[in-house]
Amino acid sequence: MDFSYADADIQIQLTDNKKLVNYERDCAGKKESRYLSRTFSAILLHPVEPVNLPEALTHYLEISFPPVLISPGVEQIVYLKFPVEIGVFLESEGKTDPLDVFSLAPVKFSLYGSPSSGVITRWYKSDLYTDIPVTDPRREGVMRLQIKNSGTETMTVSRAVFDSSSMCIFYGSRVAMTAAMEILSPLIAHTTFSDTAPADCPNRAIDLYLARGFSITNGKGFFMVAGTI
Amino acid sequence: MNVLDLFNLTLPSATDIESTVTSENDIFASISPRDVFIFFVGVIVAYIIGLAISHHIRVRMSHRLKKDQLDILTLIIRVALIVIAIGISLPGLLDLSVTIILISLVAVIAVIGISSQKVISNLVAGIALLYESPFATGDFISTGGVSGTVVSVRLFSVRIRTVDGIYVHIPNDQIYSTTVSNNHVNVALRFVYSVGIRYQDDVNRAEEIIGRILEDYTFVLKNPEPSVFVSDITSDSVVLTIRVWFPSNWKLTRDDVSLSTAILPRIKEELEIAGIEMPYAQRVVWFANQPHETIPDETDK
Repeated sequence: MDFSYADADIQIQLTDNKKLVNYERDCAGKKESRYLSRTFSAILLHPVEPVNLPEALTHYLEISFPPVLISPGVEQIVYLKFPVEIGVFLESEGKTDPLDVFSLAPVKFSLYGSPSSGVITRWYKSDLYTDIPVTDPRREGVMRLQIKNSGTETMTVSRAVFDSSSMCIFYGSRVAMTAAMEILSPLIAHTTFSDTAPADCPNRAIDLYLARGFSITNGKGFFMVAGTI
Repeated sequence: MNVLDLFNLTLPSATDIESTVTSENDIFASISPRDVFIFFVGVIVAYIIGLAISHHIRVRMSHRLKKDQLDILTLIIRVALIVIAIGISLPGLLDLSVTIILISLVAVIAVIGISSQKVISNLVAGIALLYESPFATGDFISTGGVSGTVVSVRLFSVRIRTVDGIYVHIPNDQIYSTTVSNNHVNVALRFVYSVGIRYQDDVNRAEEIIGRILEDYTFVLKNPEPSVFVSDITSDSVVLTIRVWFPSNWKLTRDDVSLSTAILPRIKEELEIAGIEMPYAQRVVWFANQPHETIPDETDK
């Protein structure tokens, strides 16, 4: 059952000593090591919701990007980069149990809204792209964001907040997500995810949220009630 | 007596009560094993029903109510069911009239109320705290000179674990009548630090270094942005005030000490690497008979 993977930044090793399996991971100097019982049949590495590190403080992802003006009634498609966290799962008898999460992407938190009624978000800064940008899939994924202005005023959008519990991550030649933002009024926008796989990313990643045993109680996206700037 | 008779209930006169009590002196002699059996079965059934209802409430309402609220709610329901069961089966067991039971109950409540005012005030305060929910288990609060993490909220008291690991038991009425600060009601908390630098150090450079450290620090919130500014010029130093926001559910926001140990040492280290130092307290002492030319200059100090 020995296994090893190594590149310039990530080293993963499984060493079987016939009674226990030793899991060792080194991600840019951040190391993790633990012994596993030999009950699993496979080890899986998937991109997971990027809200777990260094500790799970929030389940909201905020992407900040250069301001874009959207006129009333207009639908605009843009591409953004988002941070990738890599989840390690053990598969046994049809069950998938999370073992480890690591990432090469920097981590920063922010506050969306006021301290009394807002939410803590995992914050990430991205440029704005009109075509799919080239990324290192170990660090960043690409989000296709469809922004629709259903209001009556021209709106400036420079950030989007998403609820990770309804995130659908796909992987293939890159890591990808498809999301939509509907601007309902100057202060309110609604963000959702699509579960349709992009053509070049046919594989659906494991939902860490579900693998941990949480049920999705709010799969209807997130209402941004503190504006889009 | 059926339910409708209760509406026409009139209290008997003192002589009636006396005659009733006298005539019921031998009430214990009339208890049959069947009555005892029915009494205990009634209480046990009420207990089991209480458990079932509690389980149902926990399953259905665990996502709406906090654990403390669920605990107290289920406890009240279970106790109420047992009291009702006793109230229904006791008259039959002791062959007492409802009038006597009611009078006895009022007397017992009056005695308990007078003798345990403190306990009752704690109970009432506990129900008020349950209703208002100023804090919950896991929150870091400060009240009456005690600061710590709430371990449990009960009907009569609140247990707090201080940052030193000491458990403090605070009666509910004491908490309800004092100011309570809860660090975890809002999702973000602002912390303020002060750093003094020498007069000759470059203030803009110091602000830039501190700003970069805060930018790199994962748990310093991006928004609201941290601020660094000169807040005071004292006799010994130029004081820089640093204001930063942290997520209130981050483990180190439990107390000021942990946050200081996480950030201040790094600021000190980086400032010293850049040649910016924390000043010692300085005094220039003039002696009345000392010629001015012998006064040591700055470098001699």
